[in-house]
Amino acid sequence: MDAQSTDIWALAQNPFLWACALAVYLIITIQSVIYMRAAKTAGRDIGMDKKTLTTAFRSGAIASIGPSLAVLLVAVALLTVFATPAVLMRIGLVGSAATETTSATVAAETMDASLGGSAWTQEVFVVAFAAMCISGGMWLISTLIMTPILKRGGSKMERVNPEVMRLVPGAALLGVFAVLSIDQLPESSIHAITVLISGLSLAVMLYLSRFKGMSWLKEWALGLAIFLSLTVAYFLHHHSALA
Amino acid sequence: MTTQTADTAMNGFEKTTARWGRITMAATLLVSWIAPLGLIWMTDFDISFTMVLTAYLAVAAVYLILAVVEPVSFFPVLGQAAMYQAFMIGNIANKLVPAAVVAQSRVGVKPGSRQGDLVSVMAICGAAIVHVTSLLLFVGILGTWVLRQVPEEITEVAQTYILPAILGAVFVQAAATVKQIRPTIFAILSSLLVLFVILPIFPALGAFNIALAVLVTILASWFLRGTNGEARKPTAGA
Repeated sequence: MDAQSTDIWALAQNPFLWACALAVYLIITIQSVIYMRAAKTAGRDIGMDKKTLTTAFRSGAIASIGPSLAVLLVAVALLTVFATPAVLMRIGLVGSAATETTSATVAAETMDASLGGSAWTQEVFVVAFAAMCISGGMWLISTLIMTPILKRGGSKMERVNPEVMRLVPGAALLGVFAVLSIDQLPESSIHAITVLISGLSLAVMLYLSRFKGMSWLKEWALGLAIFLSLTVAYFLHHHSALA
Repeated sequence: MTTQTADTAMNGFEKTTARWGRITMAATLLVSWIAPLGLIWMTDFDISFTMVLTAYLAVAAVYLILAVVEPVSFFPVLGQAAMYQAFMIGNIANKLVPAAVVAQSRVGVKPGSRQGDLVSVMAICGAAIVHVTSLLLFVGILGTWVLRQVPEEITEVAQTYILPAILGAVFVQAAATVKQIRPTIFAILSSLLVLFVILPIFPALGAFNIALAVLVTILASWFLRGTNGEARKPTAGA
């Protein structure tokens, strides 16, 4: 190992980092197993059969395929600068390709280096990786601190005014996705078209699934909408005057 | 079953998921901080505490506020149990919440109801398993091969347009699941207000865009909820 070497892979493919990455994935899996068992136990007592819960699990899994594919493509693109275990850790945990590349770039700048540039040495990588991990951890810390507080607030609110708490989750859900979608519109005309095609194609598929007896389509609709709108984006981006 | 059994069942669920959610999240935090520490110790590069702190502070300037604000913004959507899943795995708006919304619509339950909560946790578990397996397989094992196979133009498009491609569909899906016309309209109006009126005037609030939109949508949906929801109370002015 050599602090000034730019061969990140020689350093970052080490067994210790691999072990850490695998440990993280194991913990996520364990958490899911515990949660599923808790949901099945509770489901029995609130009159939800196992089949419904299994359907929920399957729908969630299928619906996440489209978004996962996109995450994978971007994660793979980061392999050159971070090597496998660091990519697995940083993309597998809270954070996104955008967050992590920005963090790494900003951290590298404090050492007069740029991400993947000629000064992106093993030493810079270690410092940047440390900064990324500390930063990612902050989301976990703030979740650990805030969740119990917010939960108490929510429960109190529910006792005082249950009507409000019936309205909050739906309204919040709509608020989140409205603001995120509309925020994409001014980015570029292709972004705007992509949002519209994605929304429209989902609406058409929901219509088909509800009124034409194609209920299986509900699970696949999100993935298909992503695929369709990305295909249009691809042609507009590479083969049109809009780009 | 009685309401009491149902209440006890949900309390048990909340307790188990909260305890194990916290334990698993703390364990993840530990591993993700041990990794760079171990690396620093093993490499012997003379990396000082100051170097790491300086680098982190630069990153913190960009992301620390978000790290604090995001959990608060998403709490009303996720609820306690799913918070510990979502903020561990990440990909909340682009993967986990969409998975939960799709499942709720498939099974036909409302967000925020008991059934809705269980369905959403199960759906997020499904998404988590896909997340873990797909990353291990396609990045961990086949990563370098995939890198050679996928043309750069495709990666570029996926990277640039993935968010709009997901978000448009998820908003429509959310509207179809919640099935309430007023909150849907208020969500759009609140977002326009936040993005094109409030943020241009107070650019410092940038990190709060989601929190603000959620807050304004909730307030508007409550105060302008119309008379069919609860006729006893007179509608208050917003």
